[in-house]
Amino acid sequence: MSSKLHGLVQTEWGWLIAIYLFLAGAGAGAYVTGVVLDFMGPEWATIAKIGVFFGFPSVLIGTLFLLADLGKVQNAWRVATKPGTSWIARGTIIISVFLIVSFIHLVFWIFPFSGLENADGLRHLLGIVGLIFGIGTMVYTGLLLGDAIPIPFWSTVLLPILFFVSALSTGIMATILGSSLLFQDSDLVHGLARFDILLLVMEIVILSAFLHGAHRLPSSQHSAKEVLFGGLSRFFWMGVALCGILIPLLIDAIFHNNFMAIVAALFGLAGGLILRYVVLKAGAMPPMDAAGFSFRPVSKPKLPMAARGMVPPGNL
Amino acid sequence: MARYGMVIDLKRCYGCYSCVMACKVKNHTPPGVFWARILKGEAGKYPNVVRQALPILCMHCEDPGCVKVCPTGATYLDEDGVCVIDTDICVGCKYCFMGCPYGARYAVEEWGSYFPEGLPVTPLEEFQARAFEEKSGFGVPTKCDFCADRRSFGKEPSCVAACPAEARIFGDLDDPDSEISFLIKTRRGFVLKPEVGTNPKVYYLPPR
Repeated sequence: MSSKLHGLVQTEWGWLIAIYLFLAGAGAGAYVTGVVLDFMGPEWATIAKIGVFFGFPSVLIGTLFLLADLGKVQNAWRVATKPGTSWIARGTIIISVFLIVSFIHLVFWIFPFSGLENADGLRHLLGIVGLIFGIGTMVYTGLLLGDAIPIPFWSTVLLPILFFVSALSTGIMATILGSSLLFQDSDLVHGLARFDILLLVMEIVILSAFLHGAHRLPSSQHSAKEVLFGGLSRFFWMGVALCGILIPLLIDAIFHNNFMAIVAALFGLAGGLILRYVVLKAGAMPPMDAAGFSFRPVSKPKLPMAARGMVPPGNL
Repeated sequence: MARYGMVIDLKRCYGCYSCVMACKVKNHTPPGVFWARILKGEAGKYPNVVRQALPILCMHCEDPGCVKVCPTGATYLDEDGVCVIDTDICVGCKYCFMGCPYGARYAVEEWGSYFPEGLPVTPLEEFQARAFEEKSGFGVPTKCDFCADRRSFGKEPSCVAACPAEARIFGDLDDPDSEISFLIKTRRGFVLKPEVGTNPKVYYLPPR
């Protein structure tokens, strides 16, 4: 309450938006993976189909989570009436086009029709259009937060890059998950997992740079502290660092069998969702300092261990 | 046509919360919603410590962050330069909360009671819930509108009328002879968070 009065922590966007950002990113990532694999040759065709198959339903379900968060769902169509005013308006158009293209791709290539199976040129053309809007969807989830100028933790160039790499990595993990569930050991799937190791290492580098930069900047320092040592540190260290990055990285590097690939993919997908939640919840505005006075929330006195559970989590 | 603004004299304000109460009484805001609020701050080190109150409300910026991010154009500056919300076209995406550097917006899902749970709702609260729904509605962001209804009668906003220290002065920034233009020019008026570049129309006069 006191943080809200001081205009510090954003409390409006929570799990619903985190799930939306995650599903939109992972779905578009899986679709992009599928399209790129389809370009790589006929031996990848089955795995490519699994990637493309995940695209439409995940993004659609993610969009439903966004609609559930709206205060006035009956007005939702108005977002499309003023394109170019805001990243939500632009993102709505990007996601709508992506949904249409990926739906056509899904219906005419995989189920129930398979007319695009032999029409390589047409399928690749559709794939290129879908690729552009799929990458747009992945980057848009970062730009949406990055456009909130008053929240310095979000408005950095690294956030769209971080969300893009995380979306591609979780998309590949979804593809690996589907492939490993469907067929036995395949060298192609292990090759995909090795590429995912590269993405996870990139994610570590970008995430470190993102948090380091946020920690160095006085205006976003309290957000970074909340993530690294504060109320969100459990989510960050256990969820993002351990489950989302380290465990999949080690499993993909050591084991090469189907069961462990499924485990790694599940951990990685959960980590991607928690990453979105941590970034959302850590969004905070710098304190209102004016005329030499510091208008910060009064810090609560340190309570004994037994009573520490009474302190509301996430209180900056 | 005017360009309404406000000056808050921090030298006069002694943090009595009268503006907060006047705003709540006039606008029937539910518990936890403060269109006008007061922050208390400190400066200095132990024997020489000063406390200062900082009243905050919607700054009705010239280049508002909330208008920039609104996907439907539901929030806009009206002809008097006052930032208002058209609740008929608002989708309730809450993006404007992320665009406002002053935390001036409050989302209201339902009208919660001021009294502990289990007690009957008082007739006054029923009236307030109806009045609030008519004016602002639920599921959309709500915020200060410089008391649009009071201004239509030619009165100043209720927080200005209630201030016992006369620390709040309301007026037209376009009029060079108005009291607030004079005060901003002669007493080094400043705005909050100028680095965000929203050009607020609520000015503060330094406390010393």
